[in-house]
Amino acid sequence: MRVFILLLIVGFLGLFAGGASALWMGGIAGSGPRLGEAVRIDGWTSDWSIGSEAANPYIRARIARFGLLALRKEEAVYFTTARDTNGRRLRDDCIYSVSGGTMPAAWWSITLYDRDSRLPMNSDGALSFDASDAEQMGAPDQWGFRVSADQSGHPDELWVSSRNAGQFDLTLRLYLPTQELLDDPEGTLQPPIVKELYCDGRS
Amino acid sequence: MRWIGAAAIFLLMAVIGHLAILNAIPSRIMSAAQARMADRGVGMYQWVAATRMTPETQTIVRPSPDLAYAICRFDVSDGPVLLTAPSAETYGSLSIFDSKTNNVFIARLDGAETFASVVVSGPGASAESFKGVPDGAQTITMTGKGLALIRRLAPDQATHDVAAGLVDEARCEQVVD
Repeated sequence: MRVFILLLIVGFLGLFAGGASALWMGGIAGSGPRLGEAVRIDGWTSDWSIGSEAANPYIRARIARFGLLALRKEEAVYFTTARDTNGRRLRDDCIYSVSGGTMPAAWWSITLYDRDSRLPMNSDGALSFDASDAEQMGAPDQWGFRVSADQSGHPDELWVSSRNAGQFDLTLRLYLPTQELLDDPEGTLQPPIVKELYCDGRS
Repeated sequence: MRWIGAAAIFLLMAVIGHLAILNAIPSRIMSAAQARMADRGVGMYQWVAATRMTPETQTIVRPSPDLAYAICRFDVSDGPVLLTAPSAETYGSLSIFDSKTNNVFIARLDGAETFASVVVSGPGASAESFKGVPDGAQTITMTGKGLALIRRLAPDQATHDVAAGLVDEARCEQVVD
């Protein structure tokens, strides 16, 4: 009887440990490990299996948690970075410049999300920068914008607000990506460069 | 020997618990998303245009503020569902997600493809036999509840208003027998 009770307890502990590890790896409890980053280009990461039935259960769980209703790669691909060119975590008390050129897609946008994968709670109306903004700048092949918590001192500069974002990341969406990008992402995409300009308490 | 047996049971139950929870996560998240939408008044079998995505209006993670969204909830357990959406000049798509978050269907709405309608039915149901299925409708099968999503490029309020106006021309309804 004692042996049976012991095995029952061990079984419950095993179930609990297995379930807890699944919640962690799926990003439900804590941020979990870095998964779903099969494509890595200069600090920007993506995974071509997003949205498809081919995605493994870990990627499916994390996409459900962090990117529900994501499209398949033929329609859109998503690249994310949470660090600047020096490898430092992006924070709302720093100022960054983001620059880039022509993107291998019909249309693209870069959006800032906070640590909970939400648009940051501010009313600045500066949530993203996109291909239309680059065209309005007259420089679709050489564009740039600023990421900062306020626009003071640079009223004419295009910006994306990081106010109330805490630690954040940037997501590059490429709609209707070219076949070249899908076939050879590393050789085709020159991702945006995220450069720290100033950091409170560091510079 | 007893400890080896206990370790084996621990490992076996850990693997079972791990796989069971991991595979349940997408369905549970999708189910929670459906419930949140229902709480916000998004009924079944109707396209509902979302207000422009802002920090205050976001209902899902990582919404794109540059897109206009419309959503329709449906359940093929009740019978086949007909979905249509008009094309426009700017980028747009109609996508369908099953209860496990798989993107099971997508059609472009920018005129590059000739999309007219799609009928979603449960496995084993012959959608073509229903009177209400239009000629030329595409057909797909899936199980249970689903979400259909229209995305249209709308980087400013004016284009968002135009996209929202197109929702009235889209259909999401049960097919009549």
